[in-house]
Order: sequence, then C-alpha cells, then structure tokens
Amino acid sequence: MRPILLKGHERSLTQVKFNKEGDLILSVGKDTVASIWYSFNGERLGTLKGHSGTIWTIDVSEDSKLAITGSADFSAKLWNVETGECLFTWSLETPVRRVEFNPYKDEILMAIDAVMGFNGRILVFKLNKDNLSEQSTEPILDIPTRKDFVKAMIVGYSYGGKYIVAGHQDGVISKYDAENGKFMASEKIHEKQITDIQFSEDRTYFITSSKDKTACLVDTDSFKVLKTYETDAPMNSATITPVKDFVVLGGGQEARDVTTTSAKQGKFEARFFHKVFQDEIGRVAGHFGPLNYVAMHPNGSGYASGGEDGFIRLHYFEKHYFDFKYDVELTANSSLA
Amino acid sequence: MATGSWADEEDELPPTRIIDNKDGTKLVISYKFNEDNKKVQITQKIKHTMIREHVHPAVAARRKWKKYGAEKDKPEGPDLSTTQIGDPVQLKLSFNMKQAELEEEEKQKAEQKSTTINVFKCRYCGGEHFTARCPYKETLGSMSQSTASNPPPEDESSGNAGGSGGSGYVPPHLRNRKPGEASSGGKFERDDSTTLRVTQLNEIVDEDMIRHELFGNFRSIQRVNLVRNRETGKSKGLAYVAFATISDAERALEMYNGKGYHNLILQLEWSKPKK
Repeated sequence: MRPILLKGHERSLTQVKFNKEGDLILSVGKDTVASIWYSFNGERLGTLKGHSGTIWTIDVSEDSKLAITGSADFSAKLWNVETGECLFTWSLETPVRRVEFNPYKDEILMAIDAVMGFNGRILVFKLNKDNLSEQSTEPILDIPTRKDFVKAMIVGYSYGGKYIVAGHQDGVISKYDAENGKFMASEKIHEKQITDIQFSEDRTYFITSSKDKTACLVDTDSFKVLKTYETDAPMNSATITPVKDFVVLGGGQEARDVTTTSAKQGKFEARFFHKVFQDEIGRVAGHFGPLNYVAMHPNGSGYASGGEDGFIRLHYFEKHYFDFKYDVELTANSSLA
Repeated sequence: MATGSWADEEDELPPTRIIDNKDGTKLVISYKFNEDNKKVQITQKIKHTMIREHVHPAVAARRKWKKYGAEKDKPEGPDLSTTQIGDPVQLKLSFNMKQAELEEEEKQKAEQKSTTINVFKCRYCGGEHFTARCPYKETLGSMSQSTASNPPPEDESSGNAGGSGGSGYVPPHLRNRKPGEASSGGKFERDDSTTLRVTQLNEIVDEDMIRHELFGNFRSIQRVNLVRNRETGKSKGLAYVAFATISDAERALEMYNGKGYHNLILQLEWSKPKK
C-alpha cells in the first residue's frame, strides 16, 4: 500500500482524528495551527489559526460542524469546521490536555493539566448550540483530582455518555458518573503513564496505551482488563479497528532518546495485534520518529498515524488485510454457515 | 508545419478522428511523425467507466466547502507541498510474526557481534572494548608501553614514523616515552641532529637500496625513512637517514652531496626539525 503523506505541520503531531463519516481528518501538533484534511485524497481543507502554544488535542462534533481544540496556552477554542473561524475561547488556569465532545449530548469534556500549584481537573462544559459564540465559562461539572491520585491527562466518554473514564499519569484508570461527577471505580493497570484511551465503536470497552510498553483492553462496566498487548517500546497511542478484530498500537523510543538511536532501532512502527489472541500480526514502518497518535478510519478501510517527525501518514489497507484470518476464525465461520 | 508552403502540404497530418463504437468504446485515430519523420497512424481503443460513489449527503456537501486558513484561495485538488504520495510500505499480516522477528533479531545480533570483533579490539588486553576503557589499563598499559620503547631502535622509529607499526597509533608526544618519564616538554623528543635529508632520489630507489647500496659503507645507519605517496606507495624521491653519530652524518653529507645516483644528482642536507 502507498501511504499519503500529509506535511502540514512544522513540528511533531500530538493528535490526529477522523470525523464520524471518516471523510475529514483533523490534526494538531506542537506548532500552533490545527489542520483539516480530506481523507480520500489528502487535500488540506484549511487551517485553524488562533492558539499561541502547543495544541495538545482536538475533537470534532458528531455532525462535523464544530471542532474543539485544547492548547498549552491555557485555553480551549471552539471552531467552525466549514469556515475555519474561531467561535469561542475558554480561558483556563492550566494547559488543556484532552478535549472531547459528548457524542450523546451537547457537552464538552476537558482534562486540564496540573501545573504551577494548580490541581489537575476534569471539566464538563455545556455546549450552547443556539448561539455558538456565547458559551458558558462555568463548568457544569468540575472533578478535581482526588487526593490519593496523580493527575489525569486523558479522558473519554463511555457508552451512552454514562461514565467519564480517565487515564492517570501513574497508570491508574478511574471512572466517574457523567451525571454528577461521583467517583465510581479505579484500577491500576499500567506501571507508567497512560498515554491514550480510545473507545470501541459502541463505547462498551476501550483500549489504553502506556509508556510501560503495553496496551490494555478494558471493559467499561466491570473495569477489568480483558486483554493485554505487549511490545518492546513505550506506546503513545492505541486504537481498535472496526470491521476486523485487530488493535493498532503506535509509539517508539522516547523523543529525547531518538537522536541516540537509528530509525531501525527506534521501533517507529505501527503495530497490529489480534484483538482476541493478543498476538502481534504485522507492522507498518515509515515514520522517522515515534508515533504520537494512531487513528482508524471509522469504516475500517485505513488508518492515519501522526508522528514526532511532523508527518501524518494516511494508509488504506489492501485486500490482504481484509482476507487475513486465523484458522480458528475460518472454521468458526464455516460451522456457523 | 501546418501553415507552410504548398510543398509541405503533403507532410501535414490528417485531423484526429474519434469513432463511437456500438459497444460503448471509443476509437481514437490520430497521426504523428515518428523519429524517421514518417507519418504514423495511432489507433487507440478507449473505454470509459463511470465510477459512482455513494456517499453520505453531508460528506458530499463537505467536499464542496471552500478552503480557508493557510489554504485559502488555493486551487482545488491536493497541494503537492502538503500532500504527497509516500513510498510503498508493506503490511504483511502473519500468525508467527513474533517468531520470525525474533529469528531476525538474533541474526542481526550475531552479525553485530561479528562486526564488533573486527571493529573494537583493545590494544592492551585484546578485549572487545576501546583501549581507553580497558579495565587493565593501569597494569597492562604501563607494561606494554615499556615493551614498546625497548625493541631495537631501528624498528621502533620506522614503525612510529610510517604508522605501519604493529601497535597502532601513538600520539607524537608519547612516542619514545619511557615508563615513568614525565613529559619533558618538546614536541618531538627524537634527536634529529644526526639525520640527513636526502632529496633527488630516483623513484626506483627503496629503503634497502639506500641502506645497503648508497650508504653501504656506513655501518652506523639507525633509521632510513623513505617518503612515499600514501595511495600508490611510490617513492617521492625524498628520504631521511639517521646516523649514529654526527661525524658519520657529516662524512656522508660531504661524500654524497651533489653526486650522481641512479641517473639523478643527489642533494643532501641536514634535516630541519618540523615547525
């Protein structure tokens, strides 16, 4: 397969996302501009300019009309995806590490960093869709980091917008009631920092990636680890593939160690694991630095990876990918038929 | 060619014809001149296939959006400065990927090991590390240095100067150093007062000839160093000859300066220390 290289960022990528239909790709990086691309040919639709620091995170609404970005300049911005204009800016006391639209409600979820004596917090804002340029700056939900926890930089909504799931710096995941912010459960599943949480299509389970070189598949309700995928390098991102029962992991040698290793040793590859059997089944090389984010096309036809090298590589799978099956899967299907 | 004189008219190309076939294909007949300036008819059969892609209406609407930001007013279609097609990459899914990978890794490791043996060899103990990191540096180091300074003077000096000595590179200020001897200042501790610089030597003359033929009746030659081209190994016609005593050197200078040797007139002078 021939990847499409998207070279719109001058510095390393921090997050790359598809919209719901998969026709748009939204990317943010350590330069201060977000980019929006057409996924079918890699054409850039436009850029979102306005932040004055690293943009850590981006999300797009279900109808693909709105985008939200969170930045290290202590602000989050709401954008019109069609015109690229900034509609509203939330000013916060610390950098915004993760933002997400509630797919079921007009709400915005944010995780803000703990720096300069401020406590890390998870915030939920109401999204006023009637007048987009007038948003409330008062969060409807404010969940400060609990005393016995370290800060959480990764958050996400579970199925039905029922829970808020957070990934903490020390490898703990925690769960809160999305209605009232009540703490429900926590579990230490990783040895080191959790770098990413991405949900399955129906949001009943999710995958976490960690600097401890593993990724875990976790059930949202029971909060138990279903599967563990082990690698030989710190992982920055993990995603679950639709259509096929795979997971894709991205990561590599720490950015600061990159100069001391060759590209071959750095393990800068997207890794494909079988979701159920936990075996590594394939790799895709290409990046010159660690992969900071991997995102699947919602229809499972391809994936995009954003690297520390400043490139986004957009891949569309070939037939071989869809035909690949374990013997067990083949026999199971034939016996069903 | 089209609007030439009537004489050229014959060379004009007939217009391209397009014929629609019944089966939906098109026949395109065009003409051109080939390399020999002969008229050639090209017949192409073309079949157009319309690929209709069904997309979500919202997706179709989004494709018509105007570009903005850094892409504002840019023409439709991917911009090559931001969007490029990369080199093909392989995604070969397999069950025993880990095994194959382990094997490959082992192979690589083995290869690496074999190369490291060639690359690193400690001069003191022969181990696989840099000489500077040798754990036996203190003990073995001083020993090997003392042995290095003891061999017959002739061997040592030619080895050090030519760099062809067995024990590798020794920086100039450490050459000829005896164990325990502190650095006594000078850049070159070698005494050059008995050395003659011999120029205008024939190319065919080598060290042995200088030692045994030219200066054959001087028993006290300590060192003969013929300067050679680094790559070809050919003599540059210049040699340094060290004698045991100043008087011997003086005698040689008087005897051979301006005398002929292998069709060339030799020029001898006292060697000057390098600046």
